[in-house]
Amino acid sequence: MLGAGRVRVRDAAPGWLGAWLERASPWIFLAPGAAIVLLFSLFPLVLSLYFSLVRLEFAPGGFRLAFVGLDNYAKLIVGVDREEFVGVLAGPSPAGWAAWGLAAAGLGWWLARSARTVSGRGLLARAALAAVSAAGVWLAVRTLAPHGRPGSLVVTLIYVAVGVGAEYVLGLGLALLCAQRIPGRRFFRVVFLLPMMITPVGVAYLFRMLTDTSKGPFYPLWKALGLVNFSWVNDPWGARAAVLVGDIWQWTPFMFIVLLAALESQSTEPVEAAVADGASAWQVFRHITFPAILPVSSTLVLIRMIEAFKIVDLPNVLTSGGPGTATESLTLHAYVIWRALDIGGSAAIAYLLLLIVTVAAVSYVHLVHRRAVGAA
Amino acid sequence: MRWSRVTAVRVLAVLASLVLAAAVVPPSPAPGAAPRSFAGVTVNIVTFTGPQIAEPLQRHGPEFQKMTGARINVITVPFSDLYQKILTDFATRTNSYDAIVFDPQWMGDYVSAGYLEDLTGRVRADPTLQWDDILPYFRNFSATYNGRVYTIPLDGDVQMVYYRSDLLARDGLKPPATWADYLAIAQRYNGRDLNGDGKPDYGSCVAMKRSAQSYWMFLSVVAPYLQSKGTSQGAFFDPRTMRPLMDNQAVAAALDVYHAMLKDGPPEQLNMDVGDTRGLFTSGRCALSVDWGDIGTLATDPKTSKVNGKVGSVITPGSRMVLDRDTGKLVPCTTQTCPYAIGGVNHAPFAAFGGWSCAINKAARPQVKDAAFAFCAYVSAPPRSRVDVTLGITGFNPYRRSHFGLDLWVKSGMTRPMAESYIGAIRQSLQSPNMVLDLRIPQNAYYEGVVLDTALAEFLAGQLTAAQTMKQIEDGWNKKTDELGRAKMLGAYRASLSITR
Amino acid sequence: MTRRHARPRPIPAAARVATYLALGTWTFVVLFPLYWLAVTSLKNPIDVFSGPLYVPFVDFRPTLSAWRYIFVDLRNDTLRPYANTVIVATVSSVIALVAGSAAAYGLARFPYRPRVGAILLFAGSLAVAVVALSLNVPWPAAALGAAALGAGAWRAARARFRRAASNEDIAFWMISQRILPPVAVVIPVYVLFQRLHLLDTRTALVITYVASNLPIVVWLMRDYFRSLPVELEECAAVDGASRYRIFWSIVLPPSAPGLVATFLFVLVFAWNEYLFALFLTSARAQTLPLTIAAQNATRGPQWWYMSVLILIMIVPVIAMAVALERYMARGLLVGAVKG
Repeated sequence: MLGAGRVRVRDAAPGWLGAWLERASPWIFLAPGAAIVLLFSLFPLVLSLYFSLVRLEFAPGGFRLAFVGLDNYAKLIVGVDREEFVGVLAGPSPAGWAAWGLAAAGLGWWLARSARTVSGRGLLARAALAAVSAAGVWLAVRTLAPHGRPGSLVVTLIYVAVGVGAEYVLGLGLALLCAQRIPGRRFFRVVFLLPMMITPVGVAYLFRMLTDTSKGPFYPLWKALGLVNFSWVNDPWGARAAVLVGDIWQWTPFMFIVLLAALESQSTEPVEAAVADGASAWQVFRHITFPAILPVSSTLVLIRMIEAFKIVDLPNVLTSGGPGTATESLTLHAYVIWRALDIGGSAAIAYLLLLIVTVAAVSYVHLVHRRAVGAA
Repeated sequence: MRWSRVTAVRVLAVLASLVLAAAVVPPSPAPGAAPRSFAGVTVNIVTFTGPQIAEPLQRHGPEFQKMTGARINVITVPFSDLYQKILTDFATRTNSYDAIVFDPQWMGDYVSAGYLEDLTGRVRADPTLQWDDILPYFRNFSATYNGRVYTIPLDGDVQMVYYRSDLLARDGLKPPATWADYLAIAQRYNGRDLNGDGKPDYGSCVAMKRSAQSYWMFLSVVAPYLQSKGTSQGAFFDPRTMRPLMDNQAVAAALDVYHAMLKDGPPEQLNMDVGDTRGLFTSGRCALSVDWGDIGTLATDPKTSKVNGKVGSVITPGSRMVLDRDTGKLVPCTTQTCPYAIGGVNHAPFAAFGGWSCAINKAARPQVKDAAFAFCAYVSAPPRSRVDVTLGITGFNPYRRSHFGLDLWVKSGMTRPMAESYIGAIRQSLQSPNMVLDLRIPQNAYYEGVVLDTALAEFLAGQLTAAQTMKQIEDGWNKKTDELGRAKMLGAYRASLSITR
Repeated sequence: MTRRHARPRPIPAAARVATYLALGTWTFVVLFPLYWLAVTSLKNPIDVFSGPLYVPFVDFRPTLSAWRYIFVDLRNDTLRPYANTVIVATVSSVIALVAGSAAAYGLARFPYRPRVGAILLFAGSLAVAVVALSLNVPWPAAALGAAALGAGAWRAARARFRRAASNEDIAFWMISQRILPPVAVVIPVYVLFQRLHLLDTRTALVITYVASNLPIVVWLMRDYFRSLPVELEECAAVDGASRYRIFWSIVLPPSAPGLVATFLFVLVFAWNEYLFALFLTSARAQTLPLTIAAQNATRGPQWWYMSVLILIMIVPVIAMAVALERYMARGLLVGAVKG
């Protein structure tokens, strides 16, 4: 308690007002923020749910919303947009069977293990989550099989998983390097932030310039590799990789800046003590640094995951979702039909996205985030 | 690019030539001759962020204000979102725009919802507009919906084929008359060095990027197979039943052509929009391209072009076989099946997009409507438009008889043979009685921009076979038509073709 | 008490080389695309399309015509959006940071047990008010009516509401507001601001950005506040300091790195937002991302103009980052508890 004596404070304001202010302070801290979010979010949330159940029609002088029930959803899951949204299913390849078996076994083991520690509603929720995950893996396995084709749903999941993972690892690595006391680190810090500062539309156009294999800067490299007549835009995985590279380039700085701040506000004594005890750098990281930044890491991954599900500008500008529909994300799918006035259809996609992300985020918060925060 | 000295000098030259021309041609009465006073009136006009289209509006605004007192406030919105933005504004009755300069293809939505002012009486009453100077296609189809006039054309859009006249002349080849010819030429030049930089270049560059202009390019290919009996026959649906014309031998043949174009083009063609193909063509890297009138003016500008004087233009290639709509099979061209054929080849130039046009918001105040109409008429009237269509910056392409004077084009920097070929191709296309009108039914953005565009992208990417592609388009269109009401959509389709019987 | 640094051991030469190699590589990865922007902004269209040209004066003759177009020809059409962007982004980020970190502090330190029923009632009365407003009921009447309705229902039913939400639930609710993609909510938000007669104003954008960025502030700052030791605050409370003073003089200073990082992040978000800016503005309040997107029109992307705009758009944010960078430095941390 060394610092306590140094803090000089004035007495709280006297009188009933002061007392009330003090008593109500928790609510006064929370209320403005909560009120802003509530006031602003409620109306759009409800209205767009309503939109997802209607079809927009123009009527003289204005417009009409014709109620169509769940038709907009049905179109995506079983109707004309099924191939674009869900994908084309095929018999799984042997590797697919293996992956599915592995995933199913893993989920089963996890469920069995949790049965011992949790019960009742918690277990039910976990069983539901396991079922949803198993279905997701099954869908991925079947659409990614040789004659299948992933729809915007699976493509989005790929973007999220690969993109957020790579961004976290890169961001953490760079933050660790920059947290060292080395000359020039202030330069690196500012430079590494740059990609995040460009408007996403701008980044997308920038990457369209860079990935152009006939007049872009990497043409000589392409030529040297003998790929002059090959273009990544003609290959589904090449195009998806290009989208991911752009996404990683832009959002690694987000991970970097927050992790760096976390590393720097970490108290130094445990590290010093460990170093004095002869711990290796890896041990220090594994047992001291990483647990200390775990809560922030967990928050970061959650926020980035939520944002990454909404990826739209990069695939839109880079390939417009092409070749075919190979790079189309859910939000881009929603955007494409929204531009063509299918407000209902696009709201339906958005609500399905909301459902998926909510399930993912709730599970994440319950299973990972609270544990990460608790561990710190 | 906008007011560089070269352009300024060119504008001055054109203006000077106009003054000279005015001395010979009896002057048309300027709208300012009997000015109605619009003092204190502000007209908000929305269009996309240019410089094209917006630039001439911004340039003529102050002139117009000086004459009439009306202030012209040009509001610009990114092109990709213009349609949605205007529609949202009108549908929610925000009405922040008094006039719009838009794509008349969107009329299906705007007119049927009653957002646009009927201009039929006004265009007849305004002598300065010289309505009859505008080509019949634009007067009777593009500006008209269900027999009423709703827009003043400011631009003429039609797709043509551009070729490298130097190469074809050197090798003694004729410009393509059919799509088969087109493919033969593309194949011949693909992989050869066409601009002398030692690198292999491409036979044909066509925009095939998804959510861009690719479906218009495809429709240009399919048009001569589908429509042979004049504009009012329509090329998208059977105008008696609203059955789509997208699953038959004609479309199959066009898909073959379209797929072959992919082979003889740049490796990234799948991801190219018109910006890319124009850039490649004007830097001399393509032997052929399909495009609107823009390549003509871009090829003349030294900042954008290495091929000035080496570009020829021709009406979009045609077909010797056309669709028999009853059987879904292709039949040879005869005087009955192809009344407008030239040398046995049925041409159907496609007025893709339709050409930027000016329309007036029905909800605007009367005086504002008058001022808005006067301004659009002022911009469209020959004294202005004759010059504007020759300037690359305006993005305006010819749409009046008086735009076909060669001298103006030569003065703008085009070589005379190129101007002859360019104007010749535009004139031949626009005067064709078999021009294909772009789809203008409500929600055409969904029919073309979503269903057709997605199916074509999947076809090019190898996700769908030709048969699957055709079926997907038909199913998607039928589903939408049923949703919106078949009878209503049939009425709208017939209205767009101005079929009144 | 003197603070020592985390890694007092001298860094071995090999590690140092490896570090610089890694940092250098990433620096190249970051800077090369920006270099390409700079080069492209100096090109004529023909130079862009004839193949890759890298070095001005060597490979091609540079021209300032793109810069001239943006600054001379467009002039006010560049500067007005620029000013709007600066104002909207700064104001909204400051508000979001203030309101958000207060809420985050609350969530990190006090247990809240709002009854679920009360929240639902509140939301319900709000919905009633909104519906009333959209039916053109005057707003005081709508507000009073909804409040009366809500209060009445609460009195009638308060005993039945037992379930309460926790802090975690509140935080999750906040972040969940970011899940819906903008394309799904832009029309409702447009209608909202149309009713309020705020279309094409900077106010509308500020409100939108505060609301959409606040959850991020709450989440990031909550973690920072939680990682601070509470002992200091408890001591101050014993000394009689008010909660607000504790927040201001004891909690905020050591959170400077987090505050700066968070501020930069929400600033960038507001700075670069496109879709809401597109719909909520039409002329006066347009921001720069619109200008950039607008460079892709009927003639395809105008790479040279786009490059200029992207470059001038990141300059102020870089300046901000440079100015704030030192606050992220560890040396400024004060108020350590355990010495």
